[in-house]
Amino acid sequence: MSSSFDEKAAAPPVEARGLTVAYGQAAPILENLNFEIRTGEIFGFLGGSGSGKSSVVRSLIGLVKPRAGRVMIFGEDLWAGDGVNLGRCRHKFGMMYQAGALFGGMNLLENVSMPMLEFTDMSRSAVETAARIKLSLVGLAGYEHYLPAHVSGGMQKRAAIARAMALDPKLIFLDEPGAGLDPITSAELDNLITALARNLGIAFGIVTHELGSIMNIVDRAVLLDKKTRGIIAEGPPRELAERRAPPFVDAFFNRRPL
Amino acid sequence: MAFPLALTIKKQGRETLVALAGELTVFTPEAAWRQLTDRRAAAARGGGKVVFDLAGLTALDLNGSAQLLTVLAAFEKAGAETSVEALPEGFSAIFDLAAGALAEPMVPPEPRLTFFSEWGQIVAEAAKDLRGLIAFTGELAAEFVRAALRPSKIPWKKVLNVAETAGVNAAPVVCLVSGLVGLIIAFQAAMLMKIFGAEIYVADLIGLSVVRELGPLIAGIMLAGRSGSAFSAELGAMKAAEEVDAIITMGLSPVRELALPRVLATVLTTPLVALLATFVGIMGGSVVLLNFGYSLAVFWEAAVRQVSLASYFIGVGKSFVFGFTLAAVGCQRGLAAGDGPGAVGRATTSGVVVNIVLIAVLDSVFAVLFYVLQL
Repeated sequence: MSSSFDEKAAAPPVEARGLTVAYGQAAPILENLNFEIRTGEIFGFLGGSGSGKSSVVRSLIGLVKPRAGRVMIFGEDLWAGDGVNLGRCRHKFGMMYQAGALFGGMNLLENVSMPMLEFTDMSRSAVETAARIKLSLVGLAGYEHYLPAHVSGGMQKRAAIARAMALDPKLIFLDEPGAGLDPITSAELDNLITALARNLGIAFGIVTHELGSIMNIVDRAVLLDKKTRGIIAEGPPRELAERRAPPFVDAFFNRRPL
Repeated sequence: MAFPLALTIKKQGRETLVALAGELTVFTPEAAWRQLTDRRAAAARGGGKVVFDLAGLTALDLNGSAQLLTVLAAFEKAGAETSVEALPEGFSAIFDLAAGALAEPMVPPEPRLTFFSEWGQIVAEAAKDLRGLIAFTGELAAEFVRAALRPSKIPWKKVLNVAETAGVNAAPVVCLVSGLVGLIIAFQAAMLMKIFGAEIYVADLIGLSVVRELGPLIAGIMLAGRSGSAFSAELGAMKAAEEVDAIITMGLSPVRELALPRVLATVLTTPLVALLATFVGIMGGSVVLLNFGYSLAVFWEAAVRQVSLASYFIGVGKSFVFGFTLAAVGCQRGLAAGDGPGAVGRATTSGVVVNIVLIAVLDSVFAVLFYVLQL
């Protein structure tokens, strides 16, 4: 299996060291986080509402500058200097937003083609072929010319994953992929994510609090805690669930009130 | 220029061997394939076979596979036979995945409408919009009557809030435009009238045209662009967020709850904004005559002498109508917005366009009507 980028061979897709996330002058949401996402693994950012899961991901994708600490994307410091690496690093990962965030005026094929037309020197026909491949891999063959508004929520999310795969990144972030979907569609999406990770070696960073998905597909996870403003547990979800301690971790994984 | 992908082409009888070496990835440029373009025609002419030897590949991803598959398809379309050989073991899975994903043919997009069908659809849509606007106006009129009979039921707090944001806050920009228009018209007219030594009559021209026409018209158009569009966007966003459905489900009327306060506030504030715009427009014109050496008192006397009491009432009366129109159309477009992310934008655009056209048409109708009535 090959990579489309000349990343440093041994560098993990994501490495966060001493990461402190805050908005403006307010008190930090999370402090001194240390974690890494390894090649080809499905990594979960877990936690209760308001624990800062999405904020962490926003600092990993270059939308929120951390107050302190470093974010390394394939060994490259995302926030080095005045963000000189931001543009280059952003080509190394894809992002699927909670509601898909597809461009409403473009059909699915155009949505997936756009990053390739913008950032590569591929011919238009090769871009179309590549976009068809990506849509087919997420189960949307035959829907290339549909507008986002004319397909279901689950299909929009799958199309958003196809768009996140446009530049063949080895790292994709997903924000609440199963939110608002029926159990069957959600399970199908879980299978798709697992297949992409196993077949293409893509590492996934997933923000979710859907226990079913977490137990089924997540290889490793960090559980974020609002009170301590940090990582309260880290490891494979099944192990964390069986550990039954501390109380917040037990309550989260075994769906109990605190 | 060196590309990450190198092509070596050898001709062996009727067979062309293309050896690929290096990286075939998302960043392999189209130019790397260019030397094949001529070969394609040659291979097709000879009905030959083209063999792609991939033994030298050091990197392959889905986009690289897509490029190779596109080249293969182009050769086959031209009539050549193709084959892929010696794909390194680590890359066969990804290439097969890409090739397999293309097995299902792409469904072509729906054919474009014919010229007549497209125009038919446009006319049908326009008729539907007009019907909706008429029905909305009727419903709004009924709500106005209902509100007049029971004024205590009117949400006055909301009305005052809208009056401030849509009317009072719009006054500075309306005055700025009105003042500048007054100044420009006065300047252009003065340059001509100066030839005849009649520049003082610029004051008459400014007084009459701003009071009867320009003040209400500028206020109407500016408020349509600023406040009418804001109503369309606000109500369109509420429709998209299902807030309008929630109002209907609670047994309430969206026209009463959402449109009435906005229209009422705009009807009450537009004449005041128009009066202010009229005053500032005349003052804008005075700047020119002050520069020609006339005093403000002389200008003012000349400006108001041609303006009858009826002209003031006409100006104010028209701005009432403009205020009602711009708010009603803005709200109706918002409430009629469709689904999807582009719906709010379309509703807002349509609201502004319909409003400006309607205000211009109404102003023309008023001009003819007052001429006939000799007012």
